[in-house]
Amino acid sequence: MINIRNQEKTANQNKVQNFIDSREPIPERLELVKTRLNEIFSGTDDFMYREFTCGKNGSIKILVAFIRGLVDKRTLNQEVIRPLIERFSSEEFYTPAAGGRLYERFIEAVINVDLKEADTMHQAVNSIVSGEALLFIEGEDKALVIGVKRVQGRQVEEPDTETSIRGSREGFVENLAVNTTLIRKRVKNPNLKIEMMKIGQQTKTDVCICYIKGIAKDEIVKEVKERLKKIKVDGVLDTGIIEQQISDYRFSLFPTVGNSEKCDKLVGKLLDGRVAILCDGTPFVLTVPYLFIESIQVTDDYYDHAFFATFMRLLRLISLLVSVLLPGLYVALVSFHQTVIPFKLMITLAASRQGIPFSPFIEAFLMIIVFELLREAGVRMPRPIGQALSIVGAIVLGEASVAAGITSNLMVIIVATTAICSFIIPPFIRATMLLRFVVLIAANILGFLGIWFVGIAVLIHLCKLHSFGIPYMTPFAPITSAILKDSFIVVPYWAMITRSGAQEHVEENSGSPDQSNNNKPGDENKT
Amino acid sequence: MICRKGSKGAKIALLAIFLLSALLLSGCWNNRDLTEMNLVSAAGLERTKDGKLLLTVQVVEPAAIQSTSSGKGQGGNGSPYPTYVSSYEGETLFETIRGILSTLDKKLFFSATQILILGENLAKDDIIEALDFFQRDHEINYKMYILVAKDVSPQEILEIKNDLDPIEAMYLKRTVDNNVARGTVKRTMLIDLVKDIYCSGKQIAIGQITKSGKKEVRTEGIAVFKDGKLAGWLNRRETRGYLFAINQIKSTIVNVPVEEGLVAIETISAKGKVHVPFKKGKPAALGIKVNIEAAVGEYAGTGKLECPERIYELERKTEEVVRKEIEDALKKVQKEFSSDIFGFGQQVRKYNPKYWKKIKKEWNELFSELPADIKVKAKLRRVGSVRDSLEKDE
Repeated sequence: MINIRNQEKTANQNKVQNFIDSREPIPERLELVKTRLNEIFSGTDDFMYREFTCGKNGSIKILVAFIRGLVDKRTLNQEVIRPLIERFSSEEFYTPAAGGRLYERFIEAVINVDLKEADTMHQAVNSIVSGEALLFIEGEDKALVIGVKRVQGRQVEEPDTETSIRGSREGFVENLAVNTTLIRKRVKNPNLKIEMMKIGQQTKTDVCICYIKGIAKDEIVKEVKERLKKIKVDGVLDTGIIEQQISDYRFSLFPTVGNSEKCDKLVGKLLDGRVAILCDGTPFVLTVPYLFIESIQVTDDYYDHAFFATFMRLLRLISLLVSVLLPGLYVALVSFHQTVIPFKLMITLAASRQGIPFSPFIEAFLMIIVFELLREAGVRMPRPIGQALSIVGAIVLGEASVAAGITSNLMVIIVATTAICSFIIPPFIRATMLLRFVVLIAANILGFLGIWFVGIAVLIHLCKLHSFGIPYMTPFAPITSAILKDSFIVVPYWAMITRSGAQEHVEENSGSPDQSNNNKPGDENKT
Repeated sequence: MICRKGSKGAKIALLAIFLLSALLLSGCWNNRDLTEMNLVSAAGLERTKDGKLLLTVQVVEPAAIQSTSSGKGQGGNGSPYPTYVSSYEGETLFETIRGILSTLDKKLFFSATQILILGENLAKDDIIEALDFFQRDHEINYKMYILVAKDVSPQEILEIKNDLDPIEAMYLKRTVDNNVARGTVKRTMLIDLVKDIYCSGKQIAIGQITKSGKKEVRTEGIAVFKDGKLAGWLNRRETRGYLFAINQIKSTIVNVPVEEGLVAIETISAKGKVHVPFKKGKPAALGIKVNIEAAVGEYAGTGKLECPERIYELERKTEEVVRKEIEDALKKVQKEFSSDIFGFGQQVRKYNPKYWKKIKKEWNELFSELPADIKVKAKLRRVGSVRDSLEKDE
């Protein structure tokens, strides 16, 4: 699909561009309008138009054009066409003497639905394809855009990708308007800025950036806007496409742009000075800048007791290390550094390895590959089959391979532990998966020394990363003591008097006195 | 966008420093599987009559342990026994270790060795020479226990099979480990032994092991060495006296005779210290100070412990018993072996190095002549749940 599109990209663009000149006027004659629309929408069978007459003796001819399914026909009929026909049926209402242009009178006549003017054919056609109805009037060089987009899509529900024990169950949906409403609902503050733009030369997807003015750093907002403007793609199907285009380091395994489906999480990020990027058609919202520490932060941490939250943070950090290092460590221990294994454990290790035809490295490699296959299959399969898959996987991985003497018990335990740990930190799932292999290979060549090399290389890489100007390893490198309170340790929420992420906050927005900035307690203390 | 700018060369240099520093870490470079080696759980060394070195190794068969999962399993019913014992003769130890591969399938791996048993003949000959390999090789478990076999060859001990532990070496090791509750054998690790060998002013003493039954060993007493050669043995009591003096007693039971029977005193903690007081630039005595905290564990008799005076009396008697034990041990090594296993010479070397340099050669004779000055202080902390011994109320 992608290949075909890319090959024809330039040709297509030219064609579409030539088809409608952006300054082409709307013809006053309805006949001409019809011909033109037929030309433009040839081969577009879901495009429809209807002609009406209204006014006394049918003196006013109008044409309504729309795309079937995109508009709410009921509203269109009841709120637009019926009032027009009814009100303009009397003579006195329609006289040139009443003043103003006819379309202005139309706007006056329709109350419940949003009506806008369209000056050019280009504008009109764009509105039609984005789901609005167009109303052309005989004798007028302006058309009316009728905002009767039909809202279709999922209900707001709890996201599958991020579940939490406490906190809001509301997740974003595919509809951008609903998503912005969800955010507004939580931040009742005029400083919450939602700026719309369109990305995608073919799809013209609505994308909006969202931030709280005064909390988010101006430079970051500016940078986000600039990077979004630079994006040149045919279509934006998911924020993932935007993410790739605005990342600071496109080839880094570690994400420098965060994403979330949870509304309360996003608002939390906005309050931390992040800029959110929402996109129509996907529930995943991007947040920038994104730091390393955010990967082990979970909204539950802030709702729970601080001690427990700290414990969970540390557990997540350990699981991150385990998911990357464990297979490598095992191979290094068994193949190189038997000396450090206690006697009893060594016997157990040797016993479980007895009769295994593969070296520990090959064994680990195979098992991890099998696990990754299983994971991928589990994601791709239709859900009912997924059940069967997990049973097969458990038996193949756990039982049969051990019974057949292909792998050792211990290796099954190690791969399983690694797998569990890698699921604990979803943002890093790609990074850990690939690094695991790197560590494994290094461990097989140089033992602990190899792991050490890889570890240092990764650390250097992490310290080098930036996300929208903020060092990735903040608050550790550089050490930012204020934010350390929300790193590996979590202090209670009332003690977090500084925002994480953006380091230098300036209270610039002191203009409006009632900007409810008390979303985080003790905000007045921040400098 | 903020981006650190630095010269590229400096960055690469920094990276190189980081990565190369890792090379300073020592490590094993050869990749080999656990299943490709024989884990030696215990080893024995003996000198044969014709002066050759006889190495006996006990290697573990891990698979057999797994099959006898509870660990109590035996080799019966045709299932393999968890350990295998093999011997080989050679002139040097290293040669023997390689030579034994003619009977064993995989290379020997000494990093997990728990016990090294030295034969009596080897001990009489010279152990220092035999231990050289164990100091020199890099894959040796420095925490392995060393014992000297008395009246029995190491091979016989390693061939003992009983059901207490699937790996006999672990059984042997634990009998030494439980010394913390009895204090009658010296627990000697290879690393300690090596330290003692290098230490001038101290002779070595190694725990003793004997066969006490068909399927049992007994680890009690110590072997006293003089300049690397076996000089003699200390019995259980003397060993305890020695251990009191060198501060190696954790808990032990001291029987104290009183008028109406015996009182078993359990020491809770004991602190021992040796020192050499000097008078007029010459060592005046061999000083030993021991402080004991103890509790009454048993009253085998009909006595009463009703007043503090009785307790004080008991304390004095405990001191006397312990003092006697230490004195016996000291006297024996002084007069019979003239081997300074207490490390008095070390004290002289530490605090009077100039004097030590002069008399280093004659220290053994000097040591044998010096009078003993043994001070024991005992403190009874508890008498247990009852005050008096059990008797009918009349």
